[in-house]
Amino acid sequence: MGFRVLLVEPDRLMLEQLSMTISKTPGFELVARYQAASDALGQGTVFKPNIILLGADGQKAPELIRDFRRLYPDVSIICMGEQWRADSAAHLVQAGARGYIVKPFTSDELKNAVEAFAKSGMVVGGETYTFFSPKGKSGKTTLIANLAMELARRSRAKVGIIDADLQFGDMAVFFSLSPTSTIVEAARDAEFLSPVTLAPYFMPVTENVHVLCGTRAPNLIDRVSIASLERIIRIAQSLYQYLLIDVPPAFNPTSIAASELSTTTILVAMINGGYEIEHMREALEIFKDWPDYEDRVKAVFTRVTPCDRASQEEIGRALGFPVAGIIPNAYEEVSTAADSGMMAVDIEASSPFAQSVSKLVSKIMGRHSSGWRSV
Amino acid sequence: MSSAEQETINGVVISFFSTASSVGKTLIGINMAAELARQGARVVLVDYDLQFGDVCNYLQLEPEQTLMDAQRSIQLTGSSFDVRECLTPYSCRNIMFAVLAAPRKLEEAYNIETSVAQKVIEHLQGLFDYVIVDTTSMFSELNLMLLDISTIVTYLGVVDFLPTIKNMKIGSDTLRTLGYDSEKIRLVLNRSNAKTRISSEDVQKLLKQEFYYVLPNDFQAASQSIIDGKPLVLEHQDIALSDAIRGLVGLYSNRSLGGVEEPARREHKSSLLGRLFG
Repeated sequence: MGFRVLLVEPDRLMLEQLSMTISKTPGFELVARYQAASDALGQGTVFKPNIILLGADGQKAPELIRDFRRLYPDVSIICMGEQWRADSAAHLVQAGARGYIVKPFTSDELKNAVEAFAKSGMVVGGETYTFFSPKGKSGKTTLIANLAMELARRSRAKVGIIDADLQFGDMAVFFSLSPTSTIVEAARDAEFLSPVTLAPYFMPVTENVHVLCGTRAPNLIDRVSIASLERIIRIAQSLYQYLLIDVPPAFNPTSIAASELSTTTILVAMINGGYEIEHMREALEIFKDWPDYEDRVKAVFTRVTPCDRASQEEIGRALGFPVAGIIPNAYEEVSTAADSGMMAVDIEASSPFAQSVSKLVSKIMGRHSSGWRSV
Repeated sequence: MSSAEQETINGVVISFFSTASSVGKTLIGINMAAELARQGARVVLVDYDLQFGDVCNYLQLEPEQTLMDAQRSIQLTGSSFDVRECLTPYSCRNIMFAVLAAPRKLEEAYNIETSVAQKVIEHLQGLFDYVIVDTTSMFSELNLMLLDISTIVTYLGVVDFLPTIKNMKIGSDTLRTLGYDSEKIRLVLNRSNAKTRISSEDVQKLLKQEFYYVLPNDFQAASQSIIDGKPLVLEHQDIALSDAIRGLVGLYSNRSLGGVEEPARREHKSSLLGRLFG
C-alpha cells in the first residue's frame, strides 16, 4: 500500500503548492487537505490516512500534535515548518510527531522524509561523541570507524560520523568512499537544511552507518564556518542515535565547538614512547572548566602494550584520571582491513583489537547505567 | 662602529613541516640543530608546535621564559625588545645551541599572534646563523607564515599506511599551489626501512617528486635519545641515523659530508595508491 496523505496547512497558497507536489510524487496519494486543523481533526479520519503532514509553525503546535495523536494513534505525523530549529523540532517530536520537514518541499524531499521518519522517527536524546586528540597520529580515526561499525551492529541504531578534521580528514579513505558531497557542501547549505535535507549529504557505508566526509583539500577549511558546523551537528543529532565527530588535533575553534556540542568528549592518544600521557594531562586541565567534566570526558589510549588491566591502571595513575578504554597495537589488522575497504572489527571479530573496540561499545551503550565504570 | 659591522646578516631559517603527526619533525629538528652547532654555527631551535610542543621534553629543559614572554615583551616595548632574554641554552658534550620554548600553558599557546611569531623569527635571524623551526601538521595561519619566510622547508613524511600517503599527496599539491620554489621545499622520507605495505617508489610516482633525502628507521635509538634527552648526533655518532642526519645537514649547509641514500628499493607492487588517486 502506498502513502495516504492528510495535509493540514493554514496558508492557502502553500496548501496548493504542497498538494501539487504530493499528488505528483509516485507512491503518494493526497486523500484529504485542510486549512483548519479543527476540520482535519473532525473530518479527516474517514479518509483513512497513514501519513499526516501538519503545518506546525505556531506556539500551539505541540498541543495540536497531541490532539492528532489521540484521534490518529497509528498514523505517522510529520510536521512542516519554515525553518528547522533543533529546540522546537525536539518539542514537536516529544509531543508525538515522528519527524520534521521544511516547506515547501520537493517530491524527493517528501520521499526522503517519509523513509527516514515513518519507520524509526526523528532522534531525540541521541548521543554525540567528539574524539579529541592533543596531537595527531592518535589512532582516533581508526577507532571512530571501527566503533561506528560495531556500535551499529550491536545497537541496531543509526550511527552517523562527521569528519570535521577539516584539512586532513581520513574517513572517506577508511571507508573507501568517493563522496558526491562533503562537509563543505553541507556547510554551504547549512542555513537552509533540516534533518531530511541534510541526510543525503551523508554517504552510506551500511544501512545504519553514514559518513559526512571531510574536505577534499586543506584550503577548503575556510568554507566551513564554525556556525555552519554547529548547525550541521545540531541537525545531525536528530538523524542519528549515535553521532561520532572526528576533529583536528589540539585546541582550535573546530575541536572546541564540536566538544561543546557533545554529550561526551573522548580524548584519544597513542602510546608511542614519547610524552603522550603528559599531553593528555594538559588537555584534561582545559576540560576541567566543565563542571561535569568527570562524567563528560573520557580518556582512551591506543597502541597499548601489553593491552591489559594492569597497563590501563598504570596509565590512569600516571594521568591522574581514570582510563576508560585501551586499544592494542593493530597495525597489521587495521591496514590490511583498510586496504580492502573494510574495518578490522569486521575481519577479525575475535582479535584483541576487535574485543577492545567491543568493550568500548558496551560502555557507550551502557552510558545511562554507569556503563563507563561498570564494564 | 664601521658600516660593515652595522650590516645585519639574516640567518637561514629551516622549518620542519608535515601533513601527519609523529613523523619525526621534532627529533630530526633537534638533531639538525645539534649537528649545525657541532660544526660551529650559531643555532637556535624554535618550538612552534605551540600547544603540545616536545622540544623541551625531548631535551629535558625547563625553560624560565618562553615565546609567551617574547610576545609580552614585544607588546610592551615594541621593536626594542631583546629576544635573547627569552631563550634557554642547551648544552651537551660542550656543544651549545639556544632554544625558544613553546608557551607553558595551553591558553597562552592559543593566544600567540602570528605577527608576533614572525617578528620573533626575524629577530632571531639577526642573531643566529641558523633558525630551526618545529611546527604542527596543518596549514594554519602560523605555518603558512613560516612556509613563506623559511629559507628551506623540510617536508617530512613517512610511508606507513594509506591515509598518511593521501595527506602527504594533498600537502605536496597544496605546497605546489602556494607557488614555492621547488628548491625551497625539500621532501624528506623518514623511517625509510620501517615495516610498511606501501613502496616508497610508488609514493614518489604519486607525488610526482623524488625524495630529496631518505632517512633510515631506528626506532630504538630515537626512543632512547628521547629518554636520555640527548641528540643522537652527539651521543650516538656512529649509528646509521646519525650518519644520515649529518649527510642531510651537509647538504643544507653546503658542506656535504656525503652519504645521500638511494631511495628505498621497491619491495612489492601495490595498487593501493591507484585506488585513492586514480
